[in-house]
Amino acid sequence: MYRRQVRRRRAILVALIVGSLVLLSIHFSEPESGPLHTIQRGVATVLSPVESAASAALKPVRDLVGWFDETLEARGENERLREEVAELRRELADAEQALGENEQFRQLLKLDERDELAEFKPVTGRVISRSPTVWYSTVMINVGSGDGVKRNDPVIAPGGRSSALVGRVSDVTPTTAQVQLITDHRNAVSAKVLPDGPDGVIEAEAGDPRELVLDVLEANDEVKAGAIVVTSGWSDDEISSAYPYGLEIGRVVGAGDPDAEVQRITVEPFVEMSRLQYVQVLTGGPERPGVPG
Amino acid sequence: MIVTWRIALRMATLVLVAVILQVSFLSYVSVLGAVPDLLPVLIVCFGLLGGAVVGATSGFAAGLLLDALLLQVLGVSSLALLAVGYLSGRYREGFEIGGRMTPALLAGAVTLVGSAGYAVLQATLGSGAEVSWLVVREVVVKALFAFALTPVVLPLVRRVLRPALVDEEPVQRRALLPGRRRRRGAQLARRRLRRAATPGRSV
Repeated sequence: MYRRQVRRRRAILVALIVGSLVLLSIHFSEPESGPLHTIQRGVATVLSPVESAASAALKPVRDLVGWFDETLEARGENERLREEVAELRRELADAEQALGENEQFRQLLKLDERDELAEFKPVTGRVISRSPTVWYSTVMINVGSGDGVKRNDPVIAPGGRSSALVGRVSDVTPTTAQVQLITDHRNAVSAKVLPDGPDGVIEAEAGDPRELVLDVLEANDEVKAGAIVVTSGWSDDEISSAYPYGLEIGRVVGAGDPDAEVQRITVEPFVEMSRLQYVQVLTGGPERPGVPG
Repeated sequence: MIVTWRIALRMATLVLVAVILQVSFLSYVSVLGAVPDLLPVLIVCFGLLGGAVVGATSGFAAGLLLDALLLQVLGVSSLALLAVGYLSGRYREGFEIGGRMTPALLAGAVTLVGSAGYAVLQATLGSGAEVSWLVVREVVVKALFAFALTPVVLPLVRRVLRPALVDEEPVQRRALLPGRRRRRGAQLARRRLRRAATPGRSV
């Protein structure tokens, strides 16, 4: 009797492990339109109203916890802010000059003339759930293909000078979409340091969602802390970045040796990803070669 | 634990509620750089109350639901959580759970193993990106959360699954108040009279 129980227990354990491994391998091997992905999207679609309702119902509690968190953080930051005020006063004089230069930079970057963003139709979505581990920097939002959202659409949120890049749509169901944030280690964004700094690819380290790393090849320019990093919107006839040119990403907080083979620039994102509540999906943009929609 | 359809339904409801609570609330609460993870705690409770098979099966199902809901890679959370459920269940089958702190300590230790396994799996399947040392902090903090949450979650789960627990102590009857005692006495007397009126039976 006992032996039979042990055999049964072992058989169930082996079956479950094999089941998990089979699911894993099918998930990686089948295309996005495969049956397993379709079932997964079906489950997400069916449960999205429950998720959305729970997210809305629990928002006051979440806000309360966030308030405590921010208050504690503010206390710790008080001292640092005092020092920053002194620093900012010194920089105020420089800022007057920078204002004049800013106009020139805008002209250099043709920010005023570019009409790429004008071609997009922004769709506002609310964050309804997020992954519990640092391995996935993803959020689910309550708009989907029914609202015109497609895979690889860029996603922005309030931050920076007006709004800044937070990620791209990595999967979509009729009522929800998964947004892979720029702080996800599987995401890479071609970026450029303003005003005329180097180009490179910005990525996150797995497990550290607070800082981004911009690796720059063949750069001899010295990059200053505080410089703004934007999407470079790199494109050629066959392949291109999923993001249009000029979306703000973050601010440089540290830079490596400019003479090194690969210069590592540390960037702090403009948007605090852990506090994302509302985002805008830039839908209906121009065709970008090599970017599946 | 005797798992009937009703008990399985109760367990499924608990898992669904925990997954929804996790993704829509707890994942936003960041303390010491990590978020509290309710699922390993729930699965440890299932393992402690129902044994290895119940723990492993519920862990597999909970992981599958979590991955499906968040459109993540299917199978990774299932593997980690089934290990959590199996280990806690095996502990229950092999050892006496004596001390009051034992379930919490066990939940902490098993969550540590599960989170570390999950991290190794993710690093193996990863995109080749560098892995930050902050991952280690997440694993440790999650284990501490599990330790802290278990004394709250275990009694709740025990209460929901009470009808299925074979080694559960019987619930003490409420003391009868004078008025209730009189009504109860009258009830018993009527029952005796009915029995007496039945042919071929004696009081």
